[in-house]
Amino acid sequence: MEDVCCPRCKTTRYRNPALKLMVNVCGHALCENCMDLLFVRGSGACPECGIALRRSNFRTQMFEDSGVEKEVDIRKRILREYNKKEEDFGSLRKYNDYLEKVETIIFNLTNGIDVEHTKKLVEQNKKDNQELIKKNRMKLSHDEELIEALLEEEKQNQSQNRLQAQREEEWERRQKRKQKEALIDDLMFLDMPADRIVQSHRQEVTSMGGRKDHPDGMPPAPPPPITRFSTGITLHHGQQHGFIPVPKQEVGEMYQYQPLVLTQLGPDVPNDECLITNNYVARVRPATTQEEAGGYRAVFACHRSLQDAFCGLFFASADLLQVTSMATGQSTAQTSSGHSSMDIG
Amino acid sequence: MAEDRSKRYEKIDFLGEGQFATVYKAKDKFNNDRIVAVKKLLDVFGQRSNISLVFDFMDTDLEIIIKDTSVVLTPPHIKAYMIQTLQGLEYLHAHWILHRDMKPNNLLINEQGILKIGDFGLAKFFGSPTRVHTHQVVTRWYRPPELLFGARNYATGVDVWATGCILAELLLRVPLLPGDTDLDQLSKIFQALGTPSEQDWPDMTSLPDYIKFKPMPGTALKDIFTAVSDDLLCVLSKMLALNPLKRCTATEALKMSYFSNKPAPTPGPQLPRPRCNIDVIREPDLKLSLKRKITDPDTAANADKAGTMGSYFSLSGQVTGG
Repeated sequence: MEDVCCPRCKTTRYRNPALKLMVNVCGHALCENCMDLLFVRGSGACPECGIALRRSNFRTQMFEDSGVEKEVDIRKRILREYNKKEEDFGSLRKYNDYLEKVETIIFNLTNGIDVEHTKKLVEQNKKDNQELIKKNRMKLSHDEELIEALLEEEKQNQSQNRLQAQREEEWERRQKRKQKEALIDDLMFLDMPADRIVQSHRQEVTSMGGRKDHPDGMPPAPPPPITRFSTGITLHHGQQHGFIPVPKQEVGEMYQYQPLVLTQLGPDVPNDECLITNNYVARVRPATTQEEAGGYRAVFACHRSLQDAFCGLFFASADLLQVTSMATGQSTAQTSSGHSSMDIG
Repeated sequence: MAEDRSKRYEKIDFLGEGQFATVYKAKDKFNNDRIVAVKKLLDVFGQRSNISLVFDFMDTDLEIIIKDTSVVLTPPHIKAYMIQTLQGLEYLHAHWILHRDMKPNNLLINEQGILKIGDFGLAKFFGSPTRVHTHQVVTRWYRPPELLFGARNYATGVDVWATGCILAELLLRVPLLPGDTDLDQLSKIFQALGTPSEQDWPDMTSLPDYIKFKPMPGTALKDIFTAVSDDLLCVLSKMLALNPLKRCTATEALKMSYFSNKPAPTPGPQLPRPRCNIDVIREPDLKLSLKRKITDPDTAANADKAGTMGSYFSLSGQVTGG
């Protein structure tokens, strides 16, 4: 194995066993001492490629080849933005193409091929998919979900086993005490030779040993709690997102539409279709195209004028109503509607 | 008589100041000390005397409920709110009144979970062939495309659009179309729902402020509202139809299957109550829009639906006068 060596001060691990190489985003290594020296002020240029670097971005080199470090860095950054999931694509083929594209971008950036263009591409993608990127960042990837589920399961199993062991121990202890008490009782009250009694008890204990797995005095261990739906979605998954539990509600009465009843003390106005088919609408100014585009229809004016005219017609007492001629009806229509263009035929 | 009236209400607290009046919380001594809101109108039509209007006291509004993250809005809750809103709107429209400022802030809710439509400052009669209206109405986020294009004669569609936006907001818990300017509002609308074609909305080009937008496909409603039932999506698409003539009316909306389907709407008293203090949710600069706390009992959603002509006329007088 080649000795590790700082490219700047040429210190090797042989000379300084505590040598620790650090890398930054550009992928060029420096030993810790050089870094301290060069980046006293928090930021500075990389001695090899001249890129402006921040001291806080330095980290310990994990791979021998610092190029790998650079790629890891770039990959992390790119994948944070190119985080579409398989569900976002129509077909596997498209998803694979997408992954291919991402790999190309990472490769280009790592090896300095066509950097300007690639950077622009990344920038553009960031702008175009802002919403989706944000959304996907919230979602856990499939792998993460799987790992989480496994961890959860393991935890559950562990606690289950612990409980089981505890219960078994307890049962065993109790069994032993019972046997001891039975032996003493027998010794006290049975009139057999003591050694016979002891022997028969010993036999009993050894035969019990075989049945140890199924202690009858003990309740069976409860089944592990259900942690997932039948579809495989974990139940516990939602909890860490801080959902508020939905309160239980009493079921109310179902809604049924009831027509609005207007008391207007007058004859009913025909509905809109009737006004159109019977050509009442022709009596009001037709709506212009501009008015129609704005949502106004001539039939509104027609309906309203008729309603205004009719309302209150039955207000008078019964005998007064008989005297009321068409003329008064006309005048009511005129005064209350205010649209003198209307003609109630 | 007037003396009696003024003695009937005992001032408890100053509630706030609206555009036209100051509002007090008061106790109705003739009616089991019921709490009411007294709106004192100053100098109506230049007269010397003050006119005070007495309204029901409403303790919260839909905006507070939407913004309170501790409140969980389940589908039955949303259905209950929508039914009450649409019933109120149907009642108004049947009386030829456009509210013209429908927004969560103006939907007042009392302790019994009864929702009432408040703030009739912009309300106006519609259905006149001669009268033109201004298009500068309705809070921008809830303004329909025909008003943004400058339509001068419009109808119930403006309120229905706003109610559709409110429904969307109940589902999303954020405004569906939060435009920064009128132009941005239009582009937000078309981004979400697609640019209308000549078939979708004939004569749209004849509107005074029509601007050509580059064709956008829009997003399918089921992608905006994931996890929403199909019958509800159907209601949304009808209420948010770009062409006002294709938009449903409040009555048509109430007849749609969503409202009669399961789940049943939550009964009023079980509707959620905001936990937070009002001032915490509201931005501090909105010192008080206390007008949201007042409603007109006659026009309220659950007012006696068989209202007499008497109340109709008194209502109309108030709306046009205000």
